[in-house]
Amino acid sequence: MTDEIKTQPILEIKNLTVDLPNGSDRLHAIEEISIYIGPCEIVCLVGESGSGKSVTAFSVMGLLPKDQLTPSAGTIDLMGENILQVSNKRLRELRGSRMSMIFQEPMTALNPTMTCGDQIDEVLTTHTSMNHAMRREKVINILGQMQLTDLSSIADSYPHQLSGGQRQRIMIAMALVLDPVLLIADEPTTALDVTTQEQILKLIKEIQHNHETAVLFITHDFGVVAEIADRVVVMQAGRVIEQGPAKVILKQPNAPYTKMLIGSVPNFVPHCRSLAKNTPIVLATKNLCKTYGGRGFFQKSREIRAVHRVNLEIRRGATLGIVGESGSGKSTVARCIARLIDPTAGHIYLENYDIAQVSQSSLHSLRSRVQIIFQDPYRSLNPRRTVGASIIEGLINYGMSKQEAYKRACLLMPLVRIDPNALNRYPHQFSGGQRQRICIARALAMEPQLIIADEAVSALDVSVQSQVLELFNDIRCRLNLAILFITHDLRVAAQVCDTIAVMHHGEVVEYGEATRVFDNPQHEYTRSLFAAAPGRGFDFANISISTG
Amino acid sequence: MIEGIEKLVRSVTSDYVVMRMSTIWQQLIRNSSIMFGAIVLGFVVFIAISAPFLDTMDPSAIDLAWRNNKPGVRHFKILPDGTTREWTYRMGTDTLGRDTYSRVIYGAQVSLAVGSLVAMLSLTIGLIIGLVAGYVLWLDAIVLRIMDGLMAVPGILLAITMVSLANASLLTLILAIAIPEIPRVVRLVRSIVLSIRDEPYVEAAVSVGTRLPMILIRHLLPNIVAPLIVMGTYIFASAILVEAILSFLGVGISPETPTWGNIMAEGRLMFRIYPHNILFPGIFLAITLLAVNMLGDGLRDILDPRIRKRL
Repeated sequence: MTDEIKTQPILEIKNLTVDLPNGSDRLHAIEEISIYIGPCEIVCLVGESGSGKSVTAFSVMGLLPKDQLTPSAGTIDLMGENILQVSNKRLRELRGSRMSMIFQEPMTALNPTMTCGDQIDEVLTTHTSMNHAMRREKVINILGQMQLTDLSSIADSYPHQLSGGQRQRIMIAMALVLDPVLLIADEPTTALDVTTQEQILKLIKEIQHNHETAVLFITHDFGVVAEIADRVVVMQAGRVIEQGPAKVILKQPNAPYTKMLIGSVPNFVPHCRSLAKNTPIVLATKNLCKTYGGRGFFQKSREIRAVHRVNLEIRRGATLGIVGESGSGKSTVARCIARLIDPTAGHIYLENYDIAQVSQSSLHSLRSRVQIIFQDPYRSLNPRRTVGASIIEGLINYGMSKQEAYKRACLLMPLVRIDPNALNRYPHQFSGGQRQRICIARALAMEPQLIIADEAVSALDVSVQSQVLELFNDIRCRLNLAILFITHDLRVAAQVCDTIAVMHHGEVVEYGEATRVFDNPQHEYTRSLFAAAPGRGFDFANISISTG
Repeated sequence: MIEGIEKLVRSVTSDYVVMRMSTIWQQLIRNSSIMFGAIVLGFVVFIAISAPFLDTMDPSAIDLAWRNNKPGVRHFKILPDGTTREWTYRMGTDTLGRDTYSRVIYGAQVSLAVGSLVAMLSLTIGLIIGLVAGYVLWLDAIVLRIMDGLMAVPGILLAITMVSLANASLLTLILAIAIPEIPRVVRLVRSIVLSIRDEPYVEAAVSVGTRLPMILIRHLLPNIVAPLIVMGTYIFASAILVEAILSFLGVGISPETPTWGNIMAEGRLMFRIYPHNILFPGIFLAITLLAVNMLGDGLRDILDPRIRKRL
């Protein structure tokens, strides 16, 4: 594919450089990148956050924020027309008719005050001179191609009335209604659940085939790449590191950076670890229930069962994973166990002591034993306090002197691989991965028996993710901790968990040892979850990397 | 090993305090709007405090022979101790022949006192109520209904009622102006608390065993300080104006006591012929409000580490 270009490329980016404003950490957002996309080809742009993937996409669409990011060199040829040179009027004509874009978060990309049908209709009104009836027919027709059912009622509903997957289909319909030659998809499945993601990927592939559209697909997920890409372009810090056919890049990567990225992708084979069966149980839940709702002043009583009869058990030194899609109640379980919310019914035994219903005052002495680490490292540290102050806060709450607490914090920092001198800096001076380490340090400072990691690595880049996962494993072994690991990512679960509980609609549908669950899933839902995982059957290059 | 760590601990803990104090101080000095605001406000405060020593006369002394003089008129005046001296009406006189210059200088006292005390009082009370209402959910509904009720009553009307029920003293006036401002502060504080109380870092603080009062003070309060300062400057400004309105309606401080509002209210009658009675207190009022607002804006920028990074 690379050596022979039969027809003219749809999109050809040549030596494109986009400058960053003065005072940024580097000079160029993207530097001398050259990418071409042939007709009917899916090119995946892969890279970690800050690598310039989205800037590339936005420059093609001509959507770069003016005054801040300016293309300073190179050309972007869309079917022989240089996008950087054309007038604003022509650019408007090109958008939608020749090229179009779908975004990561369909809820924010769609206008909440317009019906979905009207939003697609708007594209047609702007670019064509069709009459109302023809436009309506076209809208219904394109929605039909998106494998939606009950088309006219979907066209008449507002974005909030639809599910995430349906909304993304609307976005794709909107992008494709004028049959553009180029579709740019900026992380279109990142915000979706795995099963929905699988459907959307299939849909994009199918539609791309039927419409003969060229696709520039931006993602950070190598599973998705394996699933969809014809060719792959790997970016790092604004430069193209490597490009080539998907199979070649994924199996025999050349550049060390690509090797590192692919090596960081957790594989599906659950790790085996011989567990001493008779270690004491740190935490057990019995018929744990959490119901939201109840009566308001004037409303009818409306109850939502977030968690229903959950029974779990975590032994010292072991990791229990809770796996499920969004809304399955996995986070609610975690927050009940940490007693951030009060469970409605059931028992939570922390070393044989039931903490499910104890009062706030007697809870105070138990708080230090269970510590929780949250998903978003940017919001889980108070931006106005130094990280040192955040780490020692808990220790001071339990009566330790400031000097003593700082000493413990200093001793902890090497364990999470951060320089102790960094204690008096503020959170915004750290990267996402470093912040997550600081959160781990804060949890460890309390000397807990159980650590709850609520999607703790989901917001991190793959390479950082693998380091943080390794850190979790390391502290679990060293300190003999019990870890409750909540994730939506089956690869991550396979890597760290000893036992796995699969949750669906607030109930645990499957519960057992990781090796057993992965090799021989019993429940139908578990099987569909595994089948949907992107790149499941793909054999990534086996590269062992050394981190830390 | 242990010795090294102790050394490190000492350096970290001491650096911690020193660094924060010195950087904040440097930021204060470097910020031009804070410098301007502080200097001007300091100047006005200085004028207010040292009013008797700034070549002023009794601000309520009436001299019917010299009514409605334009600024700069000189004449010989018999002082209370019997001596005679030449006196310059720097800012003219009003309809009762009182020296506008002296009245404006003395007026700074009352206006600043009313503005700052009202701001402090309503911010303090509003902050406490708002914090508790925002964080303790079951109290929220009750507090909010009371505040809604309070907001339904026009502020001026409430103030008039309060002043007519009690004596027209400075304290009553301050209370009367402060109370209608409280619901606004409560709503501001509550809305910020509601948006921050679910932030993961607040939950993290709960899970490391931080008790409610400390959560409010350590994690929620710092986020509220910046908008409160801006709100405070607004209340400061509006309190001075409301005081002027109340004085004009005759329910404020008695007219012989000079306040900027009083002077302007009286000058209004003869504004077309003798604009100086409104012009001079107006200039003082405008400059003071500008200084307060610039100070508030500057402080807001500095107190927020995220904005500070951008500066």
